[in-house]
Amino acid sequence: MILGQVVGTVWATRKNPNLERLKLAIVRPHFWYNPPHDVDHLVAVDQVGAERGQDVLVCVGQPGRWMAGTSAAPIEASIMAIVDRVVMGPSTEDGTP
Amino acid sequence: MMLGRVIGEVWATKRAGAFGHRKAMLVATLAREGDRLFPTGEVVVALDDIGAQQGNVVTVSWGSGARAVFAPPDNRHVLVDAAISRIVDAITLDESGRVLNLQHEEG
Repeated sequence: MILGQVVGTVWATRKNPNLERLKLAIVRPHFWYNPPHDVDHLVAVDQVGAERGQDVLVCVGQPGRWMAGTSAAPIEASIMAIVDRVVMGPSTEDGTP
Repeated sequence: MMLGRVIGEVWATKRAGAFGHRKAMLVATLAREGDRLFPTGEVVVALDDIGAQQGNVVTVSWGSGARAVFAPPDNRHVLVDAAISRIVDAITLDESGRVLNLQHEEG
């Protein structure tokens, strides 16, 4: 998965029927492993209600497509979670930050 | 699969149901140069079921096969494209067969 920030939303009236009722968000990755295209953003399906400015986890590829409930949807990225915080370095003994 | 080192943890309350309650770890990918491993500068977020800790070297399964890391039937509804599949104790890096003990070496 990719850690990124939501920087915008995509609205579209005419679209592929498999994209109906799906919210699309523009995500700018903080880190990107092996990016498939030479751009600094990706458009991801959002089913968790992320807002602009929030950090999110984005699942890419086939698993991201299943998020829409069908493998027929033309999707390659889905927002999986809204990040509360990222803990770097050693954590405390009981594992909580 | 790829080798990486756990460098952090991602906390998220609002998450898709396909995630379950598994931890999401930040893993910096590692590349080999000679008999050393060094970070490539790329970071991936991987789900963790086996309790990887900060600093552990791990293998990350990638793509649609990542779901197979989690035991069935629990994995039926898991949607994930990266998962920590094992914690690496040691590997051999070069033809001489020298063993590099990863859990006790900084890098």
